[in-house]
Amino acid sequence: MSKVVFCEDDPMIRKLVRAALRSTSHEVHVAENGKLCLALIDEVRPDVVFSDVMMPEMDGFGVADAMRARPALAHIPIVFMTASVQREQIEECFRHGAAGHLAKPFTMTELRARVAQFFKN
Amino acid sequence: MRKLPRSLRFYVAASTLYAAVVFFAVQFIYTFQLTQSGLLVAQRDSGNVLSSIQIVSFIVWLGISLIAAAVMHRLATALAGAQNAEEEAKTAGEQKEQELGSIFGLSSAIAGPLDLEQIGSYFVAAIRGALPADMTLALIVYDDLLEAFRTVATDGPRSAALREKSYSSVALPAVVRTRVIDHRQSLLLVDDAAHRDMWKKVVEELPALGTAKSFAALPLISRERLVGALLLIGEGTGDLIADKVQLPMIMGQYVAGSIHSALSVKEAEARAEREALVNRVAQRARASLDPEEILRGTVEELAKVLDVSRALVCTGATEDDLAVSYEWDAAGVAPVGIGAKHVPVARLAARLGRTIIVTDVRQDRRFTDPRAAEDVIQQDVMSAAATPIRVGGQLAGALSFSQIDRSREWTADDVRLIEAVAQELRVAITAAEAFERQRTAVVELERLNRAKSDFVSIVSHEFRTPLTGIQGFSEMMASEELTIDEMREYAGDINKDAHRLNRMISEMLDLDKMESGRMQLHRERLDLNAVISDAVDRVRPNAPQHPISLRLDPLVGEMNGDRDKLIQVMANLLSNAVKYSPKGGEIVVSSRAEGGAAHVVVRDHGMGIPKASLETIFERYGRVESAETRHIQGTGLGLPIVRQIVHLHGGTVWAESSVGEGSVFHVTLPRAASGTAAAEAAS
Repeated sequence: MSKVVFCEDDPMIRKLVRAALRSTSHEVHVAENGKLCLALIDEVRPDVVFSDVMMPEMDGFGVADAMRARPALAHIPIVFMTASVQREQIEECFRHGAAGHLAKPFTMTELRARVAQFFKN
Repeated sequence: MRKLPRSLRFYVAASTLYAAVVFFAVQFIYTFQLTQSGLLVAQRDSGNVLSSIQIVSFIVWLGISLIAAAVMHRLATALAGAQNAEEEAKTAGEQKEQELGSIFGLSSAIAGPLDLEQIGSYFVAAIRGALPADMTLALIVYDDLLEAFRTVATDGPRSAALREKSYSSVALPAVVRTRVIDHRQSLLLVDDAAHRDMWKKVVEELPALGTAKSFAALPLISRERLVGALLLIGEGTGDLIADKVQLPMIMGQYVAGSIHSALSVKEAEARAEREALVNRVAQRARASLDPEEILRGTVEELAKVLDVSRALVCTGATEDDLAVSYEWDAAGVAPVGIGAKHVPVARLAARLGRTIIVTDVRQDRRFTDPRAAEDVIQQDVMSAAATPIRVGGQLAGALSFSQIDRSREWTADDVRLIEAVAQELRVAITAAEAFERQRTAVVELERLNRAKSDFVSIVSHEFRTPLTGIQGFSEMMASEELTIDEMREYAGDINKDAHRLNRMISEMLDLDKMESGRMQLHRERLDLNAVISDAVDRVRPNAPQHPISLRLDPLVGEMNGDRDKLIQVMANLLSNAVKYSPKGGEIVVSSRAEGGAAHVVVRDHGMGIPKASLETIFERYGRVESAETRHIQGTGLGLPIVRQIVHLHGGTVWAESSVGEGSVFHVTLPRAASGTAAAEAAS
C-alpha cells in the first residue's frame, strides 16, 4: 500500500487533506510541525512527503535537509506546499531538493493528481 | 719761540758764509791790485776806507739774506699750513665717505633680502665698526605671530644671553616699555651715582645686562610703526655717549624700513596661510559628510596655524551640557580629557553667543567665579579664546583654544580666523546632519519598503491558508458524495475559515483606522481583571504546551475602556507569548494597582527579543526577522494594534527581554477615578 506523509501546521488544511484522500487507496499520515513530521517519516517510511514550508519547530526546508542527511530517508521525494507564488520562494523549494511544488490554494483534483503521480507504476 | 725749519737755518748759515767769503776775496783782490798799481799810497788810510766799504756791504748783504730767509720762511710756513689743511680736509672727507659708504652699503645690502635674520646680521656688521669692541648689541624685532619681541641678530660678549630670546612687551624692563615702546624715544642709561636705583631695577628686569655699565635702547620706527629696537650694552660708563650712538641710530632708520617690509611680507604670508586654511576647511567640509572627520582635521590644523597649546571641540545643546568631544594638544601639553565639562571659556562663549577672548585668565573679571577660575588655572591656561557653534539657531557646541605657556593678545586676525572656521564648520555640520537625516530617512524607507513586501508575502500566505480550506471543502461538497453530517461539518469548516479571513482583514483595517485617528472606542465601565481572565480563557485551548498562570491584584478594580479592544490587547500579547515560545513554558499574567494606573505584565519563557528590536516590534510590519521567527506566522500587525489601543486608552506599553530567556510585556492603563478611590479605601 502506498504511504503518504502530510506535514501542515494549519489544522483545517490537515483535515481537508485527510478528507480529500479518504476515497483513494493511499495510506495518509499527518504531522503538525517539522519535528513531528521527521519522526513520522522515520517511523512510516512513506513513498512521498508533502510538506508546508512555514511551520513552527522545524520548517519544511529543515525537514528536507534532515532527510537528505539520512541515507535511509534520502531517496524519499518531498513536495512543498506553499502559499507563496513568488518565483524566488519556489526556486528555494527546488534548491532544497523538492520533487515538486504545490501552490495553495489547491483544488482537490490537483492534490489527488499530484499524489497519484508518485504511484503510477 | 717758534722753531725755524732746518732748511731755513741752513740757508741763513750758507748765505752768511758766502757773504764772508766774498768779503775776504774782495778785500784781498782790491788790496793786492792797488798795491801793484801803486795806488795804495797811504796803505793805512786807503785800507781803512776799503774796509769800511766792505763791512757795510757785508752787513747789507747779510740783512738782505735774512730778509729773504724770513720771507721764505713765511712762505714755507704758509705753504706747509696750506698743505696740512688740504691733508686734513682729505682725511675728514675719507671718514665721512666711509660712514656714508657703510650706510649705503647697508641700505643696498638690506634692500635685497626679506629675511629678518639676514637683515639683522647686515645691520650688526655695519654698525659693529663704529662701536667699541667690547660692546654688545642686539636687534630685537616685533614678531606679530609670536606677539613678542624676538632677537634676530646679536653680537658682542653678552650676545649669548640675548640670542634666540623673545620678550613679550611685559617681559621687557618697565622703563624700556614706557620710553621706547610706548613713547618711541631713545633710552640711554648709565650705571652712575645719579642713576644707581634705576640701573639696579633695569638689571633686575633684564638679567642679560649683568655687570655692564651702560645700556641704550633705540626704537626702530618705520611708517609710524615700531618694528623693533636696537639694544646696546656697554661695559664702561662712557661707552654710550650721545655721539657714539648717532651712527647706529641713523642706520637703524634705514634698517627699520627693511624690517617693516620683511614683517609685512611675513604677515601677508601668514594671512594667506590663514585664508588657505579656511579654504581647506570649506573644501574638506564639502568632501566629507562625517562631522567627526571634519572636526578632527580642521581643529588640528587651526590649532597649528594659531600656534596655541590646546584646542577643544565641545559639544552640547545647552551651556551646561557642553563637554569636550575632541581635543588636540601641542606636544608636552597635558590633555583635559574627552567628556570633561570644566570648559568655562567655551561656556561663556555659548552663553553670550559670541566669540570670547581672554588675554590673561587670572586677571579677567569675567572669571571671578572662584570655581571657574580654579578650573581654568588647573589646566594652567593663561590665555583663551572660544567661539560658539550654532546650527539652525540652536547651540551645537563651541570651539575653544588656549595658551598655557604665555599670555596672549588675541589679534583681530585670530578672531576672524576662528570665526571663519567656526562658520565653515557650522555649514559642514549642518550639511552632514542633513545628509545623515536623509540617509536615515532612506534607510527607514527601505526598511518600510522591505517590511511592506514582506507583509504582502505574509498576508498572501495568511490569506491563502484559509482560502485553501474554503476552496477545498466547498469543492468536495460540490463534487463528492457526502453524508448530510459531512456536509454540515464541511460547511462549518468553511464558515470558520471565512471568519478567520474576515478577522485578518478587520485587523488590517482596524490598524489603519487607529493609525489615522478614525477609530472610536466604545467605552464602558469594566473590570480589567475580568477582561484579562476572559482573554486568557480564549487563548488557553490553543496553547496546550503553555500553562498560563494568573496573578491578579483585586485592587486594580474598574476602568473606563473598550472591552473588545482590551480583550484584543491581551489576546494579542498572549498569542505572541505562545507563538514565540515554541518550546512551551509557563506564561505568567499579572496585574497590579499602581496609584492611578493599572500595571499588567505578560511574561513568557520564549526566545526573547534582541535589544535593538524592542522598539521596532511595535511598528507596523516590524516583526523580528530571523531564522527562528521565519516559520512563525504573523502579520506584523499584532503589537502595532496593541500599542494603538493602549495609547487610545491613555496608557503605555513597552517590552523588556533577554534573548533566549523570554520576554516581558508591560501595559499600564489609567484606572477609573472612583475605582482608584475604592482601591485606596480598601488598602
